Amino acid sequence: MLLQLVVSGIANGMLYALIALSMTLVYRATTVLNFGHGDMATAGAYAGFVLVGAGLPFIAAFALALGLLFAAGFLVQRFLLRPIMRAPHFALATMALAVGYALRGAARLRWGSEIVNLPRPYPQGAFMLGPVVVTNDALVITAAVLVLFVLMLLLFRATRLGRIIRAVFQTERGAALVGINVPLFHGLMWGAGGALAAAGGVLLAMIVPLTPDMGEWVLVRGFAAMTLGGFGSLPGAIAGGVLLGVSEEVLGFYVSTVFTDITAYLVTILVLLIRPRGLFGRQALARV
Amino acid sequence: MSGAARAGRRLFWLVPLALLPVPLALNPYQQFVADLVLMYVPVAIGFNVVIGNLGLFAFSNVAYFGIGAYASGILMAKAGLPWWITVLPAGLAGCGAGVLTAVPALRGVRLFYLAIMTLAFGELMRWSYIRAEALTGGSMGLALPRALLFGWPLDDARKFYVFLALAVILVIATERLLCSRFGRAFMAIRGNEVAAAAMGIPTGRFIVIGFAWSGFVVGVAGAMYAALIGHLSPDSFNLSELVLEFAIIMVGGVGSQLGSVLGAAVLTALPQLFMSWPGSEELAFGLLLILVILFLPRGLASLLARWHPIFRDRYLLEE
Repeated sequence: MLLQLVVSGIANGMLYALIALSMTLVYRATTVLNFGHGDMATAGAYAGFVLVGAGLPFIAAFALALGLLFAAGFLVQRFLLRPIMRAPHFALATMALAVGYALRGAARLRWGSEIVNLPRPYPQGAFMLGPVVVTNDALVITAAVLVLFVLMLLLFRATRLGRIIRAVFQTERGAALVGINVPLFHGLMWGAGGALAAAGGVLLAMIVPLTPDMGEWVLVRGFAAMTLGGFGSLPGAIAGGVLLGVSEEVLGFYVSTVFTDITAYLVTILVLLIRPRGLFGRQALARV
Repeated sequence: MSGAARAGRRLFWLVPLALLPVPLALNPYQQFVADLVLMYVPVAIGFNVVIGNLGLFAFSNVAYFGIGAYASGILMAKAGLPWWITVLPAGLAGCGAGVLTAVPALRGVRLFYLAIMTLAFGELMRWSYIRAEALTGGSMGLALPRALLFGWPLDDARKFYVFLALAVILVIATERLLCSRFGRAFMAIRGNEVAAAAMGIPTGRFIVIGFAWSGFVVGVAGAMYAALIGHLSPDSFNLSELVLEFAIIMVGGVGSQLGSVLGAAVLTALPQLFMSWPGSEELAFGLLLILVILFLPRGLASLLARWHPIFRDRYLLEE
């Protein structure tokens, strides 16, 4: 039974990991925590829904939704965040929150009264892997997230852009001094964050009904996974997400079903009280 | 503050006096909106003490609000107490929650960490309202008996005057707190916490006091909510409510009491225009917040201050 729970937990956890990783990417690159991230994921899911409804094949709709949210993220950074780069944290985080809130309102205005579902491009079902039941959903989500992770790893390690990313992560001023266009880089990272949010949103909307309020759920899970893994750590975000998914399932089964709902909140509160660095975190990043 | 400015400040007494005949002129719906504005004044002022005056990024305001509302509601519905007796316990319950949320701040949790943690606390409280069905009625909500004041039902005009009195008392009490050494300590902590501690200000103690006062004020507002709406449901205390309250102080002016009042008036009246299109209200709020951050980062209070020096507020957060 434990094995079964761990396997189902990993599938959810991969989704949390993807969410946390995209939030961490933006946070590391720009030191702004995107409080509108969940709503960007919802926006990506609705974009996918509209595109599939327009008759596009699923993969094309998925790619196009990612592209749209990349553009949205880039534009948000370029026109809303860059003008107030020097403002306190407070204003930057509020701006992200406001963008997310406006997106949510727009989604509710159009789809508020109906619950829509993104049709799966594969048959719903499950198969036995030894003693463990694996649903097709779990398999597809895990595979999709793993593919995205590998692509990101390649981007980080094997391309020129990856070198730039690592350089700016190390020191922004140093990167600017050797001629890297840091503001453009910030825009690209917001774009990447938007695209990865859209990926998470589309995958999530395949397995749960899509509502304008989905973003809240996404944001809380993302925060919990980030906190557990250690704020600002990329491997930590992945480990935190998977661990959160597994603990939800295990605690939910062995202790009480209520834990599937509240593990994320409890993890956030307890980790920050007891070990604020999380599992893999280093010194807190501060924007002074 | 100079003598002239102090004399000028007395003029602010004219505002509640001018509001006295208001119930005579309004229809019941407008009356409801006016009461709603008066309720959001303490909600915003309490939030502003932590966010604006202490400068801590804590988002547990909706939790205090909900705890105050449920404390008042449960005492009315389950213990059969009249509403007026529940106001103080509601404030104290909010105060207790405030002290509880000050604990992580004392442990050195700051910035985004504090924001996330207090968000999680608020959501955990909302989940508790849903699960504690015996007390709160669960997700179906809790229907409340009519609010009573000294045995009289709180009808429209009486409710307005009671709310006006509560709002004025809380504004003045908060003003006194901010003018005292407590308020100066808050400003020092907001400016630079390490420097404040180095000057010998016991920062931890003042942080707890700030949170406790914020929780008390917002808890009383929760009791006003119970009297005004007459029905409590967990979904009234979700993240959207939090964004509304946050937008009130951002649009009004972070750190300024005048700003809290202005923000409460503008942003409570505004959604009433959008009632018939769900979602348009969130869209409008989002866009309004974006515009305010870009073009009016110190809020409506700074506009008034530019217009006449009498409105200058030294607690308003400077960029």
